[in-house]
Amino acid sequence: MNEGNHEHWSEEVAAYMLGALEPAEAAELERHAEGCEHCQAEIRWLTPAINALPEGVERLQPPRELRERVMAEVRFDAAPEEVAAGESTGLFGRAGAWLRELGSGPMGLRPVAGFAAAVLVVAAVAGFAIGGGIGSDEGTQTSTVVSGEAPGVTAKMVSEDGSGTLHLGNVKQLPSDRVLEAWVQRDGEVEPVEALFVPDRKGKASTELPDMDGVEVVMVTTEPRGGSESPTSSPLVTITVPQ
Amino acid sequence: MTIRREKAERLADEELMPLIGEKDPEAFEVFYDRHGGVAYSLAYRIVGEKAAAEDVTQEAFISIWKSGARFDRARGSVRSWMLSIVRNRAIDALRSRAGKAPKLTFDDDAALEQRPAEELTEEEAMRNETAGELRGALGELPGEQSKVIELAYFGGFSQSEISRMLGVPLGTVKGRMRLGLEKIRGELAEGLA
Repeated sequence: MNEGNHEHWSEEVAAYMLGALEPAEAAELERHAEGCEHCQAEIRWLTPAINALPEGVERLQPPRELRERVMAEVRFDAAPEEVAAGESTGLFGRAGAWLRELGSGPMGLRPVAGFAAAVLVVAAVAGFAIGGGIGSDEGTQTSTVVSGEAPGVTAKMVSEDGSGTLHLGNVKQLPSDRVLEAWVQRDGEVEPVEALFVPDRKGKASTELPDMDGVEVVMVTTEPRGGSESPTSSPLVTITVPQ
Repeated sequence: MTIRREKAERLADEELMPLIGEKDPEAFEVFYDRHGGVAYSLAYRIVGEKAAAEDVTQEAFISIWKSGARFDRARGSVRSWMLSIVRNRAIDALRSRAGKAPKLTFDDDAALEQRPAEELTEEEAMRNETAGELRGALGELPGEQSKVIELAYFGGFSQSEISRMLGVPLGTVKGRMRLGLEKIRGELAEGLA
């Protein structure tokens, strides 16, 4: 490299490392530095100073929900791919029965319109073992059997060691006075899941299902802020749990 | 294939990355727990809004999850790589929000390229410094030096833009950046002595 230009480039190294050069300038400096030991040495020398800048920002505690969203997306991505629709009609049938029960039951829900045609994603991948699974010899179960009247909404549920995580996708933004609430059916009884949740800006929403023991069906509805003791709206999704 | 969390917690970042590259959620969870705080703090420092900082942090970590296999330890520490990704995405978000086309091409590979492998020992030592001490390093700079560094690193402004904003010659901005970084670097070296 042209060492005669070094003085000029040396002036630019600090700005380069701060990301303050225009792209063309940065590319030019990089080309120069490839053959300039002086510039390479300066970059090495200043690197700890650059690295100190983010370390020095005032520390804030990230919200717990952020961790949950990140890990929900990670676990969703790590879970086996959904299989084609139609492979789990038996499970779907159980979900339908529950919905019909809800529609005629004391909660006063009407049957979900077009329920039979409203299967958005139907998949069931059960019992695949992950070697050396985390604290469980039983491995992880992923089940996704979804029906509902919210077009495009997808769902996947990962169960492990008696608990589960439900991941929804393509959920429309909710009014500020509405939240998502999950429900489980166990021995024919419908119970609310304590945690309320909302979709993020990308339409993803996740919630923990701490006690999956004996759960046959999981459902998500939209409810007033603060949640409800029983479902007050038609389900966005219904997921049957392989037994 | 996943490993138990207890085992993952004993691994260095550089040892976690190959596992993350193999899509091990437990390894990634440990990685997030180690660095999520500083990542969120940096994102918030740049974008200035909690919701936007959350989005930036989430996008950065998901990017790392999806590209973990691309990390090359010969190019620097995992933490500095991760913070570079957060910083770049935060600056992009800042510019996008301002309706301003990004003037720099930030991508994760570029962040890798910009982080030489040297000084790892010093980086580890720096990590043990308190954030307050490091803030002090920037805070102890003369105002005109800390200003140009903050505008560039945390504001995403080019040296030409800073020159115009502050109404000072471009050469002055270059000089202040250089003097400021040199001083921070010198103080870090003293701290290690």
